Parts: sequence; C-alpha cells; structure tokens
Amino acid sequence: MNVVLAVKQYVSKMIESSGTGMKVLLMDKETTSIVSMVYTQSEILQKEVYLFERIDSQNRESMKHLKAICYLRPTKENVENLIQELRRPKYSVYFIYFSNVISKSEVKALAEADEQEVVAEVQEFYGDFIAVNPHLFSLNLHGVSRGRSWEPITLPRVTQGLTSVLLALKKCPMIRYQLSSDMAKRLAESVKQIITKEYELFDFRKTEVSPLLLILDRSDDAITPLLNQWTYQAMVHELLALNNNRIDLSRVPGINKDLKEVVLSAENDEFYANNLYLNFGEIGTNIKNLMEDFQKKKPKGQQKLESIADMKAFVDNYPQFKKMSGTVSKHVTVVGELSRLVSERLLMEVSEVEQELACQNDHSSAQQNVRRLLQNPRVAELDAVRLVMLYALRYERHSSNILPSLLEELQSSFLFCIICDLITPTDAVAITKQFFKGLKGVENVYTQHQPLLHDTLDQLIKGRLKDSQFPYLGPNSLRDRPQDIIVFIIGGATYEEALTVYNLNRTMPGVRIVLGGTTIHNTKSFLEEVTSSVGLGHGGDRTHGAGRPPTRR
Amino acid sequence: MASGYPPPLEGSAEVKEGFLCPLCLKDLQSFYQLQDHYEEEHSGDNRQVGSQLKSLVQKAKKAKDKLLKRDGDERAETSYESFYYGGVDPYMWEPQELGATRSHLDLFKKHRAARIDHYVIEVNKRIIRLEKLTSFDRINMDGGKIRALEKSVVPWVSDQDVPFCPDCGGKFNLRNRRHHCRLCGSIMCGKCMEFVPLVLAYKLTSGTREALYVAGSPGHGAPPGGGGLTVQQPQASRRGSISSLSSVSSVLEEKDEDRIRCCHHCMDALLRHQRKLDEKDHVPDIVKFYERLRMCMDKVDEKAPEYIRMAESLNAGETTYNLETAGSLRLEVQKYYEHIDALSKKILTLGLKDEVQPHPKTLQLQRMVRYSATLFVQEKLLGLMSLPTKENYEELKEKKRYEQQHRQAALEAHKRRSEIDKSRPLLSANGDAPRPASGPRMTKAGSWLPSSEGTRSHGELDDPLLQQIDNIESFLRQARAAGRSDEVAMLEENLRQLQDEFDAQQTSRAIELSRRLAQEESLQRSQISYLQQRELESRAAARERASDFGEGKGVEEAGEREGDRSRDPDMSPELRPPQTIKSFPRLPGTSPPLQRDECTMAPPAGEAQNSGSTTLLNRFDEEDSIPVEEDPMNPFSKEIQREHHQATVARDEEYNPFEDEEDDVKETDERQDGALGRNPFEEDDDDDRGNPFKDTPDEMLPVASTNPFEDDDDDSAAMDELIEEELLLQQIDNIRAYMFDAKLNGRTDEVELLSQNLKELQCTLQEQKRKTH
Repeated sequence: MNVVLAVKQYVSKMIESSGTGMKVLLMDKETTSIVSMVYTQSEILQKEVYLFERIDSQNRESMKHLKAICYLRPTKENVENLIQELRRPKYSVYFIYFSNVISKSEVKALAEADEQEVVAEVQEFYGDFIAVNPHLFSLNLHGVSRGRSWEPITLPRVTQGLTSVLLALKKCPMIRYQLSSDMAKRLAESVKQIITKEYELFDFRKTEVSPLLLILDRSDDAITPLLNQWTYQAMVHELLALNNNRIDLSRVPGINKDLKEVVLSAENDEFYANNLYLNFGEIGTNIKNLMEDFQKKKPKGQQKLESIADMKAFVDNYPQFKKMSGTVSKHVTVVGELSRLVSERLLMEVSEVEQELACQNDHSSAQQNVRRLLQNPRVAELDAVRLVMLYALRYERHSSNILPSLLEELQSSFLFCIICDLITPTDAVAITKQFFKGLKGVENVYTQHQPLLHDTLDQLIKGRLKDSQFPYLGPNSLRDRPQDIIVFIIGGATYEEALTVYNLNRTMPGVRIVLGGTTIHNTKSFLEEVTSSVGLGHGGDRTHGAGRPPTRR
Repeated sequence: MASGYPPPLEGSAEVKEGFLCPLCLKDLQSFYQLQDHYEEEHSGDNRQVGSQLKSLVQKAKKAKDKLLKRDGDERAETSYESFYYGGVDPYMWEPQELGATRSHLDLFKKHRAARIDHYVIEVNKRIIRLEKLTSFDRINMDGGKIRALEKSVVPWVSDQDVPFCPDCGGKFNLRNRRHHCRLCGSIMCGKCMEFVPLVLAYKLTSGTREALYVAGSPGHGAPPGGGGLTVQQPQASRRGSISSLSSVSSVLEEKDEDRIRCCHHCMDALLRHQRKLDEKDHVPDIVKFYERLRMCMDKVDEKAPEYIRMAESLNAGETTYNLETAGSLRLEVQKYYEHIDALSKKILTLGLKDEVQPHPKTLQLQRMVRYSATLFVQEKLLGLMSLPTKENYEELKEKKRYEQQHRQAALEAHKRRSEIDKSRPLLSANGDAPRPASGPRMTKAGSWLPSSEGTRSHGELDDPLLQQIDNIESFLRQARAAGRSDEVAMLEENLRQLQDEFDAQQTSRAIELSRRLAQEESLQRSQISYLQQRELESRAAARERASDFGEGKGVEEAGEREGDRSRDPDMSPELRPPQTIKSFPRLPGTSPPLQRDECTMAPPAGEAQNSGSTTLLNRFDEEDSIPVEEDPMNPFSKEIQREHHQATVARDEEYNPFEDEEDDVKETDERQDGALGRNPFEEDDDDDRGNPFKDTPDEMLPVASTNPFEDDDDDSAAMDELIEEELLLQQIDNIRAYMFDAKLNGRTDEVELLSQNLKELQCTLQEQKRKTH
C-alpha cells in the first residue's frame, strides 16, 4: 500500500534486469515526472544510468555502447516514436516497459519494426501515477471536468491512472462512489470495466477482506482547498506551490542562485521527512535546532583554522558538515520565505477568520471580520477572494447575509470578481450543505478545520457510511470492516486531506488508506480548476441554477 | 523492560535469540521471514497474537535504534527524531512485493521472428552469392566467362519482362540500358545501379568463407586473404585483354574487375549487415575505461567493508586482526580510489582534444560518469577510518587486556558479592547504582522471548551475556568452517556488540566494586597521595587526564577510568567502545617516531631500568587496589618506568606518556610560534586549564630543564616535530580531498578556506623540514 515504494520497485526492477553497463533511460514527459518523484539523480546514477532522454527528443546521438531502458506511457505518439527508434536504433539493446496496458496490435507493430533484434524485453509495469507521499498519489491532471461531466479525453487517462495504482498495489477492489456525482459514477464504471476486461491481471491472492476503492468528487467539499494551511508540506504548496516535489523560489527577494529551485522530497531529505506534517511553530523550533547543530559542526565560523586541533576537528566534522549544509540552507530559505509571506499577507489573521468561517456559526462576527479584513490593504487579493468565497459558501442561505455588498467591495478593488461570480451560490461547487462540522475541542485556532474526508473515512471504517449516498458498484457489498482503502478524489485532493489520511493511518489499527486525486490543489490551482470547469459549461450551469448536472449520460 | 533482567536469568537455561516465532519458537532469520512464516503457519490463529507480535517487533527495533545511536550524533538525532514513514507505519504495513507486471516478450518475439527470418534469410542469401561471385579470379578471367559464372549464381530476370526501371521508372532503350543486379538478378538502369567494392565483399564474406573452409570445401578457388592486393596488381596489363575480347556488351558495359554490380536494395541490406559486424567488434574507448572503472569500484565494494571491520576491531584494541594486513588493505583500497579518480578523469576528457568536438550527449555521458565516480569516492573514501599506529595499537591492546583482567576480577568479586547478596535479599544502595545503567543493554542482547526453554546450560557462565557470547562464538566457528562469509560477518557483528555490552556492564560493576574497596583503602591512600602531591609539583600531574580524580582522594584506578569515561552522564554505556575508537586514532601520528626514539636512547633507558623495579612495585602499590597481574614484558613498562623516573609519579596507567612530552613541546612551540595558538589535544588542554600548573608554564620549564633527562626532552621535541610532519601530511591529504569535493560542488567559499589551510599547512611542513635537516 505504499505508492512511492511501488513505483520505486518498478524502476529498480527495470534497471536491475538490464544488467551491468552504461545505461540511458528513455522516457516521455509524464514518465519523467513519475520517475523523478521517487528517484534522485545521484541515486539513479549509482545504478549506472547516466543519461536521461526523452523519446521525442530529436537531439539524440547514436551511442551503441549504451543500453536503453524505455519507460513510456502506451500512447499512440510514444509507440510511433518507438517504432521509428527501433528502425534506426541508437543504442545497443532496448528494454521496453509500458506504464499501462498496451494493445496486441501495437506490440506487433513494434515487433515488426525491430529488424535488428535490439529489443530484449517488452513489459507492462504499472507505474502510471505520480507518487507524492507513501499514501498519496496524483495524476497531475488539471481541468478534468467540463461543467459537471468528464472532459472526454481525461476520463480514459484517469481510468488508466487509477487502474495502474490498483495493479501496482496488487489490489482488486470493490468499488463505492459518491452518488451525487455523475463523474464519480462514470469513473467507477470505467474502472470496473477495465477490471473485468483484464481479469487475468487482476487475479491476485485473495485477502480475507476485499480492498475498497472509494471515488469521491471535489464538489462535495469545496471548503478544504480554500483554507490557508499550517503544516509544512501543505503550507509550502499553498504559498509556494509544490510541483512534483519542486518549488520555485526564483521570486523570493535576494535569493541565492543555487536555491532558485529546490527539491523537497521526503525520500532523501531527513529533515523534511520528519517535519512534513508538523505545524509552522514546531518547524520553527526544529529549524533552530538544525541551525544550532549546523553551527556546531561548522568549522568554527569562517575563521581560519589555526591549530592542528582545529584542523583535526574540522576534518572530522567535514563530511557531516557537508551533508548538513545543503539541507540547512534549503530549509532555512524555505521557512524564511514562508514566514515572510505570513507576516506580509497577515496570514495569521486571515487564517483565523477562515477557520471561524469554516467551523463556527456566528454570522455577525464573521461578517464583521470579513469586512474588516477586506478593507485592510495588506490582505492579498487571493486571500480576500477566498474569504468572500468561504463566506458565500457558509452563509449563502443566511437571511441577512451581506454577500452582495461584499462582492461589490471585491469588485471595486479586485479583478477577481469574475471568479467570484462563478463561485457564488449558483455554482456547482456550492451545492453541498454538509461540510460544516460542529466545534471540536479547539486546540489551535488555525487548524480547527477537519476536512469532510475525515468524516467520510471515519464512517467508512466504522461501517456507517450510508449505501444510499455511497453505493457499491455491482451486487456485492463489504460486510467486514474495511482494511485496505483507496480513496480517489475527482477534481483533486489537498495536502490537508493527505494529513488527515496520514493521521488516520497512524491511529486506526489495521486500516491502510491511500489517497489519490486527479491533482493536488492549493487555493490557486483549485480556483483555476473551477474556472476552467465552469467556463466551458457556463451557460448550462446558469440556467440550471441549483446545479443539477446539465448533461447526464 | 530492563529492570531486574540480569539476575533472574542467572543460571537459567539457554537464551534463544533472534526472530523467534512466538507460537512455535522457530528461529527465523529476519523480520520479513518471520512475518512470512507467521502468515503461512499461523494465519488461522488468533489475530490478536499477530498484532502483539508486530508491536513487539516494533518495540525491539525502536530500542535497537536507540541503543545503537552513536554519541556524536546523539543530539542531532534526538532533536529531529520521530520516525518518518509518511503516514505509513511500516511495521503495520507488510513488506510490499513488486506490483503486477505483464510481459509481452513472447508475443513480440513471435512477430519479430517471422519478420526477422525473412530478413536474415535474404541477407544470408546475398552474402552467399557474393561469396560465390568473389571466389574466382575476376581479374584474369575474360568478361564472357565471368558473365556466365555470374549468371549461374543467380538467375537473371529476362530483359523483356522489365520495360521500365523499377526504381526510377525510366524507360529502357539503347541509351538507357538494363543492368542486372548480380546478387538478386533484378534489373535496373545505370543511374540506379550501385557497386559493391571487392574489399567490402571480402570483408562481408570472410565469416562465411572461414566457415566454409572449416567445413572442408576448398573447391572455391582463390582464398580471400590477399583480395585487395591481387586486385590492384595486374591492373595495368589487362587493358589489352579486354579490348581483344570485346563483345558489344563488354565494350559498353565495362568489365567490373574490382566491384560487383547490385541494386540498391541489396546494397542497403549489405551495408546494414556490415555496420552490424563493425559494431560487434568495435569497443569505444569510453567502454574500455568504464569497464576498468567498474572493476575498481567492485573491488572497493568488496574490500572496504572488510577493512572497516578490521579497523574498528583494531581501534578497539582487539587482536582478531593483524595490524599489518589492515594497513596493506588500506593501501590497496586507497590505490583503487586513485584508479577510480584517474579513470573517471580520463573518461571526462575523452575526445575533448579532437578537432571535431564530440556530440554534446557524449560529453554529457562522460560528465555523468565522472560525477558518479566522484560521488562514489566521496561516499566511500570519507568513510574509511584511520588505523592506530603500531605504538598505539600496542597500547590499545594493553588497555583492552587490562580491562579484561580487571573485568575478570570484578566479575569474581561480583560473584562473591552476589552470593552474599543472595543471603541478604536486600541490596545495598550501592549495589543498585549500576543496574539502571546496564538495563537497556541487557534487553538488547536478550531476545524478546527470554522465557524460551533452552536445551543446554553452562554452569560456569551464569551471566546471560557470557552465555550469548559463547553461543555466538560457537556459531561463528561453525560458520567459518562452513565458509559462509556473510554469516560470519553478521555473527562477528553480533559478537562485537555483545562484547561491548559485556564490557560496559562489567566496567560498571567494577566501578561499584572499586568504590567499596576504595572506601576501605581511602585512609591509607590519602596519605600516600598527599606525599605524591608534593612530588607532583612537577608537570606530570598537570596532564592527569581526569583532573577530578587527580587529587587522588582514594579513588583507585578503575574508578578513575570509569569516572573519566562517564563524565558525560547522558552518554549511554553502549557508546563507550566507539568513544575510545574515536579518541584514540587522534594520537596515532605521534607515536612511531617516539618509539624509535626510545630505542636509540640507550642511556636514559638504562637508567630508567635501574629504578624500574622499584617504581614498578611502587606504582602498583599506589595505583591498583585490585590485584591485577601486570605483564612485566609489557612494551610500555619501560616507557612507563621512564616516565615515572622523570616525572617521579605517574598515577594513571591509562595516561599516555607521549602526550606528556608532546604537551611540553607544544607549549614551547607555542612560545616560538605564535600561530599555533591552541594546543592540539583539546581534551588534555582543557584539563590542563583547570590545573594550577598551567598558570605557571614558565616555572615549569625550568623544572623540566633541571630534569636529569634534559637531553632526552629536547630530543623528543625534535622527534615531536617529526611526528607532526606525519600528521601534517595526513591532514594535507585530507584537506586536498575535501577541496576536490568542495570544488566539484561549487562551494567557492569553502574552497578558499580550504586552500588557505592547505597553504598554511604546507608552510608549516616546509619549516619543519628545514628544522629537522
């Protein structure tokens, strides 16, 4: 059930079975990100893979002393490119791995192109998803929906991604889906179809309790992606945008040129791994400890080493020092930038109001706070928009809501009104009403909110999730308490939900949950997703008002 | 889980250790095997047990991790401890097998085979024909005959059937004549025709020809060997013969003496075949270098762990390995590193000097190979610890032996005491003290199923640890006999750990014991030490390592050592052996020259011997309240005696006589050379600071110079410089390595710092060389 390990094992297997000698890894755009999420360059170098090439790159030289490992998605273009490659092979041997099911006719076409007998292996290795954390995967797909239904080309891709996760984890699950979402139903059926068609592939050792695939729709919980986050990974994504574990720091004022783009990967960054789910305050302390340790190991400032003793100490500490220095400078920069943004954009205050909006039921104070913050010039556009949206989602039906005036205020000062218009109560995302859960013992005002996913999963584990809302696909249903759960959110998951799943995994004995989404959202990407989705199906939504799906097939 | 563990097990049965199945007590080799076994055998049993097992394993692992933590990193690890498994507690989630895969290779091969068969047959046919066409003497034969022969090789397509050139579509007529491909018999026009040069033909057919020769069919005419030459030679003389035998066709269609006509399809096939042949034999330079590089890396992978094992053991003063072998192994490994560096550099610069620059991708490949080689060197080379010098090793060995004897004594005493304790159930407060300290170690050594029944018990080894050690030793013997090196390595590791634990445990017992004895003797000793104190106005006392105990208030030897070591109360006893490893290698550079010095210094040594017996006796009187047998052949005794003589009293046996001298020299050095502001031996230095003598270094020197061994002292000062030279060289090497590393990673500031250091070091070195010569 560890998706990172699953992909990693696939990749190591590929490299291992190609034997010794210099190797080149031939990939396409998507497999490049799939591999880069689980392996660092230096790690893969140790396995004698020295070059990384794109199959569609024209600028490749013939190097017959290299072995080629091709890891490709089975798309038409890739197969075509590969056929061309095999006709005029540039490398001595080809080990071909497709990340998903490939048709027999395509295999035949490839075989016929291989006149020089350079192909030594043709396999399907189902690593067709981006493994972010051991329990979190993404498909890096944006704009999956058009209105309330699937963008036609994305459904097959999402199906492929999801089935490849099942195959990589060797699970042949029962499927439940969210009834209120047509997209969820379509996806569930599509996955089921693949399972039936490729029954041989899905013939795994039967477990006592059948695994479960739960398909949800982002529109069920529009609150979570709108909130500011305070745990390290989520916060970095919210404020700096994590893209395949990379963050772009080039806009940070006075940034060192080595740190313009940094990689945050829990696989090989111990500090990050340990602090991934800690909140901002704890990270601050840990960064301080890290710094102190570093200072200690650092060779006595930058002063000269004067005695042999100094030198000895230096030489002793040097390897550790070297190892640390990279980590320290990276995290200090990242955390420094985070705290700069927090204070610049008044995120503490904003977040407090957000949480109040999401978790409490006091209209008058909420209204006051929102208005006050909107008038503060230091609050960023994005934050203002999200406050208004949260207010709209929360109090849309409140008799005395001040939404029109708030919108006006936004409109007068921001260009974001268009998005606002789309997000207002008539919009698709707003139809659900049950996202507000009562107060829990409030331990931290900034992290009161529990995503809806928590309750859904909690009920699922306890066997209380209603079949009427989340029906099974097919006649069978699960009687026992589920053990292996794969949750997939159409329209994208968030890191807050990843944290929730992480905590559930740790607290629920015997339950293993993996979370996936078409992508992983921060507020900005979520707004873009909504815009693209609604922008196309705009007219339909408008007329349907309450958000009934305009097109149901 | 720790408290009270050791006593209850005393005298009990054999302790089973390892990954025991909790239900059937079967010993499995690893966690995963255990889990597999459990799933297979007991999956029907109560699930509860399963979770219990898992949590147990988890606990054990955690405990182990904690226990094995090394002192240097302790702080770092505690501060950001907490395991990361990304929401996945891996102990709860079973090990994962490789995900599903599906191979299409068979299908692929089937389709390819059909295609390839066709292709290969075609190529082979052409080659066989080519072979036939070149097997006769083309040059001295007339055109008509050749034609007939050529026609016999492959039936020519009749001219009437082909009115147009099949390739360019041009109509054949008198000007645009038909030509036949000699390999497939097809027709094309002159423009579309190609020629196979004879040289190429011979090359292509050489394989078949050889095969034919072997098969014993020599009827094929001229051997191919001199093909090229025989073609060239008679060229001039043959003009005549052509014209004399002129037929219409042979005038228009010149005779091909050194080439064979063919269509471009055949030509293509042949050329591709030729390229394949070329590639088969051609090994580019980079591959040659790369293969050697990998070979060196493999060697390092093979030798380095062995060396590290040796070095660790030697540094701990064990006698399992020979110092010389370890030294030569170290040299060997370093040689390989040099090779790796040189080879990867060669790869990096391949083709750079050529006029045509290699393709950027080739360069990238070369850079990456170099980069990975440097990564390799960085990672492995920096992990190579240094060896103790001969001198030091002797010392370490001595210490170890002493400790062992000490322990033995302590153990006996402990036994005696525990017998008494048995009669008196309540332990004294004193007796309680060491228990908590030794607790965690015990659990680590014991299995997590300590209650398991054993089959044999050792009467004489009541201590469970000793029993374990004994067991492992016998396993080790068996494994060695069976020649299973990996197991031997594992067992050795186990054994070392156990011994470390045992040592630590015993030493803590010894402290306790010695404290008691110390109390008894305190009165007597305090008087002696008072006397000593006065004599100690010389500098020896100044270098007493453990200044707290330096007062000599009746705490005797063992206590001192333990006290010294346990100065850091947080430090787990587990860490002690590593600590000694760490602190001792610092000294190595200093010793050998002194040793030499010692040998050449006949008169002082002689004098020292004169007083040797008395001092020795005296020393034991003073030092050792526990009767420990000291080896009179001890290589150190001389030095120690000398030291005694010189400094009148030296109370700490552990204390290194050389440090003493060195300190002196350092101090003089300090005065001579302002640059050396700090004493190199920080630890001692710190202790020194607490010492009143430190404040009056000027007085100390006079004292030293009135010393009868004044000459000796100076001598050793000179020697000391030599020592430093060695040390310096070592440091210079290290710093060079780091510089290289820093440069690679583009940390310019560090490079600067390092190069500055390097310069300084080199200066010092020069100076010293000048001095010594």
